[in-house]
Amino acid sequence: MIHEAGVAVSTKTESAITFSHVSKRYRHFTLSDISLDFPRGTVVGLIGPNGAGKSTIMRIMMGLVAPDSGAVSVLGQPISSNQATAKREIGYFSEDMRLYKRESIGWHLQFVRSVFPGWDDDYASQLLSRFGLNPEQQVKGLSQGQRVKAVLLLILARRPQLLILDEPTNGLDPVARHEILTELMRVVEDENRTVLFSSHNTQDVEKLSDSITFIDRGRVIASRGRDEFLEQWRRIRLQAPAEWNIPAMPGMRLESQFRSQRVISMDQFDQAALDTLQASGATLEGVERMTLEEIFVSCVMRGREETSP
Amino acid sequence: MNTQAIGILFLKDLYLSRRPLFAYFAAGILSSAVSVIPQPTVAFVGFILILTVAIGSGMHLLGELLLGEGSDQTRTFILSLPVSLLDYSLAKIAVVLTTFLIPWFTMLACSIVLTAVLPWSKAGAIPVLVVVFFELLASYALQLVTAVISDSVGWTIAVMVAGNVFLNLFLMALFQNPEVSESMKGAVPTLSPLLVKIICVEVAIIVVALGLAVAMQVRKRDLV
Repeated sequence: MIHEAGVAVSTKTESAITFSHVSKRYRHFTLSDISLDFPRGTVVGLIGPNGAGKSTIMRIMMGLVAPDSGAVSVLGQPISSNQATAKREIGYFSEDMRLYKRESIGWHLQFVRSVFPGWDDDYASQLLSRFGLNPEQQVKGLSQGQRVKAVLLLILARRPQLLILDEPTNGLDPVARHEILTELMRVVEDENRTVLFSSHNTQDVEKLSDSITFIDRGRVIASRGRDEFLEQWRRIRLQAPAEWNIPAMPGMRLESQFRSQRVISMDQFDQAALDTLQASGATLEGVERMTLEEIFVSCVMRGREETSP
Repeated sequence: MNTQAIGILFLKDLYLSRRPLFAYFAAGILSSAVSVIPQPTVAFVGFILILTVAIGSGMHLLGELLLGEGSDQTRTFILSLPVSLLDYSLAKIAVVLTTFLIPWFTMLACSIVLTAVLPWSKAGAIPVLVVVFFELLASYALQLVTAVISDSVGWTIAVMVAGNVFLNLFLMALFQNPEVSESMKGAVPTLSPLLVKIICVEVAIIVVALGLAVAMQVRKRDLV
């Protein structure tokens, strides 16, 4: 067991993860002034395109990368000074994480078991069976799906309070992806456990998450409950004359235009918005719900338009 | 600092390097034995083998245990465990030093004992052997600090090549020195003032390089 004497992971604070004005600058990428607060017991999906900064945010949470400015607290511990204590209750998966290729899955199980006193042997055995893993198999012979399952097994069997999963389903075949998601759904049933996972696959995030944060180009562009996103966004189809301009309303964006047909996406949709559109000379053709992926793309494009010179 | 965490990481790396470590240990004993065979050419080959084992083991284990963890992406796995950067850094430097010292010390001890015991060997060569072995350790310490600072195989190899070139020049100068060559022929080990000075410089280089390696490693902000 690795622990620092006399220091315990706080269970009193309500926040599992707090980012306060965190920035990190690389040569070709900057994470800009990120402030986040994820409550305990929630399942948070972090969605962003490749290179948006999801992995950097998660590495900062784990203390693997130090921010240039701002403060990060995980499970009540400032990660800059108490990362070893915090990590006792964190299970972290990263898609670029590798195990020792010449050693077996069983060796890794024993190694991680020696570090964590709360290791659950029964659960580890169940996961070995469910994931179809052979403990005697060397890591270098594993497929990508098996490797992801092996790492998840090593994380889940220690029963952490917080799971930070960076693209756990990326590059998996449909069967392996289903197995991983099924296991994660079992895990998130535990209401005391906080799960943060990133993906650019919105379907996976939609299945699991209570709340969702969109990230693009190192900035948080939207963050709210999954159902709020789905309830508050609409796609509106209109017929409008050529000279028609979209009324200046917050959250409204022209998605496409073909001859007289216009397609608009709208955040914070309500009847007043429809009235305003019709009063501007457009004829309403239909209002549709949007998928999370469509909402995400619309948010990203709107954010890029707002920040482009 | 968590000594328990450092111990677990240290033993893990020692276990992972067990096969090459055993091979270098055995090669070290063999090289030392060959270097004292009373046939000049064979003894010279043995001496070259000692240098090769020391240089090879240093580069191999440094590459595998320190630099390899970055390129193999196993560092993320280890740093996801409840260890601090300080624990990780101290364990890593301790293990790469230990894994070098095991064959190094084996060869040094074997060479000294065999030189002292075998009737055809000149015990006067023992102080020179110590000087040469400390030169190898100093060269390794410089490679270690380069690997820590640069995290680059290329830069570490460059320092190793420079170290090897310097070693050749150093040996040439050492053996051509009349004081040294005379003392090597003696039946009794004699530590001349020149050899004492050289050992002091070598120890100073080792201490400074290792101190710098620890200081630079614990100051790193980003490890992946």
